[in-house]
Amino acid sequence: MTDATMREDKAMEQSDTLTFAGREFRSRLIIGTGKYPDHRSMQRAHEASGAEIVTVAVRRVNLDRTQESLLDYIDTKKYTLLPNTAGCYTAEEAIKTAFLAREVGLSDMVKLEVIGDQRTLFPDNEELLKATQVLVKEGFVVLPYTNDDPVMARKLEDAGAAAVMPLGAPIGSGLGIRNPYNIKIILEAARVPVIVDAGVGTASDATIAMELGCDGVLMNTAIACAKDPVAMAEAMRHAIRAGRLAHLAGRIPRKLYATASSPLEGMIEL
Amino acid sequence: MELTVNGKTLEVTDGITITAVLEELKINPLRVAVQLNQEIVKRERYEETSLKAGDRIEIITFMAGGSA
Repeated sequence: MTDATMREDKAMEQSDTLTFAGREFRSRLIIGTGKYPDHRSMQRAHEASGAEIVTVAVRRVNLDRTQESLLDYIDTKKYTLLPNTAGCYTAEEAIKTAFLAREVGLSDMVKLEVIGDQRTLFPDNEELLKATQVLVKEGFVVLPYTNDDPVMARKLEDAGAAAVMPLGAPIGSGLGIRNPYNIKIILEAARVPVIVDAGVGTASDATIAMELGCDGVLMNTAIACAKDPVAMAEAMRHAIRAGRLAHLAGRIPRKLYATASSPLEGMIEL
Repeated sequence: MELTVNGKTLEVTDGITITAVLEELKINPLRVAVQLNQEIVKRERYEETSLKAGDRIEIITFMAGGSA
């Protein structure tokens, strides 16, 4: 990279921010803290990813104290914590979990999950909407995990969600963006950021989400369960940037037939 | 007296406060939320909240997790 392009790169990273609920983030990648081989590799993957927001689960403190605290490995001055309501199957459970998470005092944001089915981990949209309405009224910054349904996305936005987070594919499946057209329709109507949450398997999946025009991507398994989580975290950082740049640059239309890139005039007599 | 803390029975001195329970368990109060019999207790009230036999305490924190 030349000095000039590095400068431009830096400038763009600074001005092109992910913004919701009045907060600005330079990175459009949000990553999890689960499933890493150990806390140390998680910490290194976080650094390599460039992410500024990390998701955490809300659980009972382990009383036998044999496990180290996750928070020893996350610099809360550097990273914004995004507690999730993973494992909740009703609006009531999710609301209670969100309140407990806020009480810890490190974040008023919540990655709202209300799961409707154990095998697919698809959201229960009815309960999700209920929980969103309540938590927004209670002053939370609510980021709901939903399916790729444009109608649901609109309802969540109307309920005051700070962003909508449609899945690309089932959580942990690594199947990529299964329905880019639905994501596109969600993007067309959305007035809040659209962050793809779940389904990304590798770097190109993240790039596709960003090329579609998504505002960000949230992932966990794709990085944490890669053979080399730190290298994959770096790959994702570039993938997100590449996809974002390509989206801003504006891709060419798809055409069925070839269009020559070399001049048709001045052909040599051979 | 006995309390139930995170589902486990804990033998403590009568009238113990939440602050003292956390101290006994070597838990940093700045990293947890506490629920007493289903109600959240604000951190500033840990010191003044004395517990009774049979109270059910949940001490929660942030753990590793992504989704679901």
